[in-house]
Amino acid sequence: MFPWIDGFHWTPNHIIFLSLFFAVVLTLLSTIVAAVRRTVSDFRTHRATEMCWRFNFAELPEEERCCRHQLAGRVPHRICDNAFDCRQCPQYAEFAKLPARAFPPYVGVSFSNNQLYHRGHTWVRPENDGTLTVGLDEFAHHLVGHPDSVQLPVPDSEIESDGLAWRMMKNGHEIRVRAPLDGTVVATGGDKEGWYLKLRPRNPVNLRHLLRGAEVPGWLSGELDRLQLQFSPPDAPACLADGGTLMPNLMDAMPAADWDAVLAATFQEG
Amino acid sequence: MADLVLIDRRLIARGAERTSTMRFMFWLIPWVALAALGIYAAALCLYFGLNQTHMDTRFAFGMWIYLDLGMIAMGAGAFFTGFLVYILKQEDLKPVLNSAVVVGLICYSGAVAVLMVDVGQPLRAWFTFWHPNTHSMLTEVTFCITCYLFVLILEYLPVLLRNRQLRKVPSFLVFEYQLHKLVPVLAAVGAFLSFFHQGSLGGLYGVLRGRPFAFRQGFAIWPSTFFLFILSAIAVGPSFLMLVTAAAETLTERRLVGANVFRKLGLISGVLLGIYVAAKAIDTLVWLNITSPAVGFSPWDFYAYKPFGSALLFLEIVPLGLLPAFLLTSPLTTRRRGWLLCGAALACGGVLLNRFVLTVQTLALPTLAFDDFLQYIPSWQEVATFAGVIAYGVILYSLSYRYLPLFGQAKRADKNVSLD
Repeated sequence: MFPWIDGFHWTPNHIIFLSLFFAVVLTLLSTIVAAVRRTVSDFRTHRATEMCWRFNFAELPEEERCCRHQLAGRVPHRICDNAFDCRQCPQYAEFAKLPARAFPPYVGVSFSNNQLYHRGHTWVRPENDGTLTVGLDEFAHHLVGHPDSVQLPVPDSEIESDGLAWRMMKNGHEIRVRAPLDGTVVATGGDKEGWYLKLRPRNPVNLRHLLRGAEVPGWLSGELDRLQLQFSPPDAPACLADGGTLMPNLMDAMPAADWDAVLAATFQEG
Repeated sequence: MADLVLIDRRLIARGAERTSTMRFMFWLIPWVALAALGIYAAALCLYFGLNQTHMDTRFAFGMWIYLDLGMIAMGAGAFFTGFLVYILKQEDLKPVLNSAVVVGLICYSGAVAVLMVDVGQPLRAWFTFWHPNTHSMLTEVTFCITCYLFVLILEYLPVLLRNRQLRKVPSFLVFEYQLHKLVPVLAAVGAFLSFFHQGSLGGLYGVLRGRPFAFRQGFAIWPSTFFLFILSAIAVGPSFLMLVTAAAETLTERRLVGANVFRKLGLISGVLLGIYVAAKAIDTLVWLNITSPAVGFSPWDFYAYKPFGSALLFLEIVPLGLLPAFLLTSPLTTRRRGWLLCGAALACGGVLLNRFVLTVQTLALPTLAFDDFLQYIPSWQEVATFAGVIAYGVILYSLSYRYLPLFGQAKRADKNVSLD
């Protein structure tokens, strides 16, 4: 760049300085290009959604990362380090053999033993034709009530486990519901239908990561406790919970509550 | 108003406790007003020229250059903390790393902005790169600072992309992750660039043969001020970071980092400051006894002009040099947060005084028989531009603290999020 300067003569110092300068510039440009290329590669190899979820998982509070075996009372305390993907957990089989705690049949919100549950408050029901039906669980339904609008994926589109399944709007709040598993959208329903998606699983289906049996009431009672704490005023004195059931359509019934925080915790925003 | 509150709440990370939207707005209003005044003053200078300032051809370096040198020294905490964490693996400093990046970005971008007002003709800024003065140390400074500002922007990007709303875009989050993995490369490049531009800023004064008050001997092509500037910058960078973190803790009424982080920053700063003060003392003795007499000047004559007496030299070396080095390293004082912060403030004051002496005192002193001792008082436009940059720094840091994970780095480092 210098030779056109009047009276300029190359010296070793110029060569050293310019070599260093362009080495730095090239290093910086290479860094950006490498980051962009790796990002593109992550999307092409379907790793991106999993990475995003693992990021979010790492940001979740510890009490929201507890292992399913703790929820079922099989172990006193255990924090998941597999981003809730029990399919990759080497200790799953070891803990699954342990006896679960007995929960009352009703913990304040209803659930079905025929359905599997994802911690983003969706349920999954295997159908006879090999498809899987996905819906919003009772807890989330009590919170949201009837959404103002729903934005569902189009049929034949692919969704990935823990990625975005569908969006809902309620009272100005955007709710992003996480997909409970990988699959292709076969059909879409809605609030009135009682289910939202029918999926054809992408791979040989493995639903081991979804909650079932005693894990479900354990998880839901923890979620109810969390909700109660989030609804209590910050300076409220310690008090005993009085039980009771979750009333429907809470977002309309309690418009002044901190719904931003409640929805973030309910739908596993990191 | 309700919409504004909702937008504000949605930008704040989940679980992060921040002050109310109203309080935050009231905090920002005076700083925004000051920044607006600064922009107005800078626009006057750019439109009408440097006649808006009290600088002239004889007193060409004023408040702005002093601000540049001071801010670049204070911003050294960014590259030095990155160097300590990523290259020297001092993992316990990770909690202040993001904050250091923001402080560095503010200092360097503020310095570059002021420099553009000072140089003027911003539309022709590219001339600096295309037609550089190859005999000037400022060329190296310009190249290095521009590159390093780019490095700082790249380092800030992962912090920015972790904002609650931005992270909802999967490509941003994945790019942030991949860029974050390459940050050690950026830290190494940043350390390399900073080493040279901090040094060259000092060298700029040391090579001024026509200014015997500043002229210094040295090693090869580098005068001693080259090395003193590097040492002083890396000594004071961690101290400034401590002060900024302590200010943020006071304003937010929260403990943001552990006491061990403060002690470690203090220790690093204190040890380096001790070395710097020793080197500075030796350099001053050499200048007093050899360099200045060799060019025909009695060094004490330079201190005959008030208010630049020899007391200023003593102030720089002892109360603002040796004393903070002791406060930051002695086991007697490092247990007390107050003493640590006092030491950090004194250290920063010492380096700022050093930059003032080299910039303003050097130019004020007469060097030729017909020269007068000059007095320089900055115009309101210069002061307002200066204040505008300070306001910009406060605004950017406040917004970053509110909406970005400035002190959350340790949380992520503890958890395995890698797929590799």
